[in-house]
Parts: sequence; C-alpha cells; structure tokens
Amino acid sequence: MVLILTAVYLVVAVPFKVMSVIPGFADIRPVLMLNPVYGIFFGIPGCIAFAIGNLIGDLLSDSLRWSSIGGFIANFIGPFLFYVYWNKISKTPFSLRTGKNLLKQLCVTVVTAVAETIIITPMVELSYPEVSSILFAKTVMLNVSVFPIVLGIPLMILMQEELHFTPKPFSKKKNALR
Amino acid sequence: MNRLQANLCLICVTLCWSTEVIIFACIPDDVLPFATSFITSAIAAAILAACFFRRIAAEMKRAGKEILLRCLLLGVLKAAYDIMFLYGLKYFDVSTGAFTFSITVVVLPVVLLTMRKSVDKKTWISVVLVLTGIVFALGSSLAGTQVWGLVIMFIGCTLRALFFVKLNDFAKEHDSITLSVWISVVGAIISFAIWVILQPATFGAIPWSGTVIAGLFIYAYFIVAFAQTLNVFAQKRATAAGATIIYSLEIVFSLIWSAVLPENLIDRVIPSPFHVIGALFIVAGSLIEIIDFNAIRRVKSRHE
Repeated sequence: MVLILTAVYLVVAVPFKVMSVIPGFADIRPVLMLNPVYGIFFGIPGCIAFAIGNLIGDLLSDSLRWSSIGGFIANFIGPFLFYVYWNKISKTPFSLRTGKNLLKQLCVTVVTAVAETIIITPMVELSYPEVSSILFAKTVMLNVSVFPIVLGIPLMILMQEELHFTPKPFSKKKNALR
Repeated sequence: MNRLQANLCLICVTLCWSTEVIIFACIPDDVLPFATSFITSAIAAAILAACFFRRIAAEMKRAGKEILLRCLLLGVLKAAYDIMFLYGLKYFDVSTGAFTFSITVVVLPVVLLTMRKSVDKKTWISVVLVLTGIVFALGSSLAGTQVWGLVIMFIGCTLRALFFVKLNDFAKEHDSITLSVWISVVGAIISFAIWVILQPATFGAIPWSGTVIAGLFIYAYFIVAFAQTLNVFAQKRATAAGATIIYSLEIVFSLIWSAVLPENLIDRVIPSPFHVIGALFIVAGSLIEIIDFNAIRRVKSRHE
C-alpha cells in the first residue's frame, strides 16, 4: 500500500517541480491536495507514503537538503493530524455532506498548515540563511492550506460519495484498548 | 454527492480550468493547440481507462452503442467550440477575450428555453448579474473590437452552451468516468486529425524538453483527467444553467492569478477597477446560484 501511494504521490508531484517559486526550496505544490486524502482514507500507511513521497520528490528534483528532514517530519504530521482529528477528536464520523463538517475540515487544514510551516521554516532558516524565510513560510502556508481546501475537499467528496472509499479507522486493537 | 458538494466540485473544476494559462506557460507557442489537445486527451483517457477498466467495461456492456454516439456528439461539440474560441480570441486582447467566454452564461438559458426546458427565477437573476459583470469588465475595450470577433465568440459560446446542456443530460444517465474517457478519446481523435493536416511532422515538430513534457503531463491529469471527470460527476447533481454560472468564476480566478502569482509563472497584470467591479458582479451572480435559499428558509422556520 505504501509503495502504491508513494508512486501516486510522485506521479502527481514531480511534474510540478518546473513551477518553482524559490528554486530548490519552494514550488507550487498541488500534490498537497493529497495531504488530507492520505491521512483520512489510508491512515498511517498514507502518512508514511506522503512523507516518503516528499523526500523522494526532493531527491529526484535535485533539491534534497538538510531541511528535507524537517520536510519529512512535517509531511508525516500533516496527514496524521487529519487522521487523528476525524478518528479521535471529532464527535461525528468523517463526511463532507454538511456545512458544519466542511468548516471543521477547513479549520483542521489551517491548523495543519500552521504546524507544517512551524516545523519546516526554522529548519530552512537555520540551514540556509540566504533564503527569505518570510517568503518561504508564506509559500509553505499557502501550499499546505490552499490545495487541501480547493482541490483536496472536492477530491475527497468524489472519493467518498462516488468512488465509495471509506475513511480508515484506528486499528481494532487500539479501539479495543480505548 | 449532494447539491452543496456538487457546487463545490464545480468551483474546483473552474479553478482548475483557470490555471490553464499557468500550465500553458510551460509549453512553447510553436506547439499547436491541436497537438496539446491530442496529447493531453490521449494521456488522460489512458490514465482513466487504466484505473477504472472494470467500471468502464461494465458501463459499456450496459449502455452499448448509445454512450458512444452521445460521446461522439459531445466530442464534436467540444472540438467545434474550442476551434471557434481559438480563432475568435485573435480579435481580442487576453483579458477581454477571457471575459467573452462568460457570454455562455447568457446564451445557455436561451438554449434551454429553445429546448423547452425550464429555467429558475434565481438563475435568471444570476445571469443578469453575470452579464452586468461582463459588460462592466469589457466596457470600452469592446468599442474597438471587430464585429467578426464577437460573432465567432458568440457562435463558440452557443456551441459551448449546447455542450453543457447535453453533458448535463447524459451525466444523469451514464457512468461519469466512462463518459469522461470517451469524451477524451473523441477529442483526441478530432485533434489528431486536424494536427496532421496543419502540421504533418506531428511529434517531430514539437521541441521536446523536460518542461514541455511536464507541462503536457500536468495538463493531462490535472485539467483533463481530474477536472473533466469531476465536472461530469458534479453535473449529475447540478443543473446545466447553475453549472455554467459557476464556470463564469473562471475569469475571477484568472484575474486573481495574474495579480498574485510570481512573474516567473505568469505575466503579471494589475486588473483595472472595471475588471474588479465586473468580477464582483460575477461572484455575486454565482453566489446567488450556489446558495440554497430554500434550505436556509426551512432551517429558519424550523428554529422559529
């Protein structure tokens, strides 16, 4: 599963490397629409695939740097936050049929974007002081919030409502422990 | 998928379409639009067919020749309006040309009426607002336009409106992915035929590079495979008129991109006040179409 998901990530991500904002550091990344999708529908394997996919993407596009460690951690935490929210925190199961649930998804996305920006930006700032950290943080924040909202939400609606994907629950073992 | 979700999907489709300009910036001008259309449609059809082979086979077994004929009609209509727009846009500058696409919103309810289909009062209000927006945005730039340009764009918009009406009908009867695949296949065949006539060297005439391949690939899966399929799914729940009003937001998104994206991705244009006012009217028209006022009224009365 992790391999397939990583491959899908790379197929979507790599071509967009031609659209760079800060060459080698920040680009326009519609692949981030998969951030909530991997977390909610595929659980931990999805989170791992998302983080590995990001790392391999950096490697393939010749932008593997020390800050990629921060990128790896942030790209695991991003989908994981969606997974945790809809399984542990939200009182209703994942569904984007109502305005209320859409608003919840929107809020989680913003929280995720803030978390990822806080993790990645200091790593880049410490390793490469010549890179404008404000522009970098803005790009990360926009990428991680805009794409999961404008592309990710419709994709999840399509997957759940029409292609009949079901959100991944926490494992039975853990549920039994709860 | 409920109506709210369908509208969200249509907004997403419109947003994807509006990024065409950014993606096209990766493809050199000497690559013919028919070449781009053939390659991207073929790749998209192949991706979708590979992912949903069983589903497509089942629908083909159920619907048989009927779905092929319907997709042929849709493919021909799409190719026809694409060609009209291609030649019509030569009479306009970029921003004015983009606003003329939105004329479809005005033409579509008329097409629906001629086909004896009803149009909601709410839709008419939205149409008037969007039309006001277009007039505001085009304003003085229309005065210097040649009549032929407008005539070609008007025919293109009429064909596009007919395409949306038919797509909306067919989407309610057939599997969305199968429709999307066959529309892409027909589009690819027509584009290839024209490409061969205009540029017999075909693939040999394309200045291949990593950027060109990336641009074509992005267009194929992002605009054709993803946006087109999402559009067909959303059409199952939306009305043709409602969907077209939402599509008119494309110009609003394009204005935003040209104002906010960095210069290495797009030619930056600061929109004029008329463009901004026009865009606001279009947003207002779309909001009236998207918001379900009856549902809000029902909720209010329940609380009372």
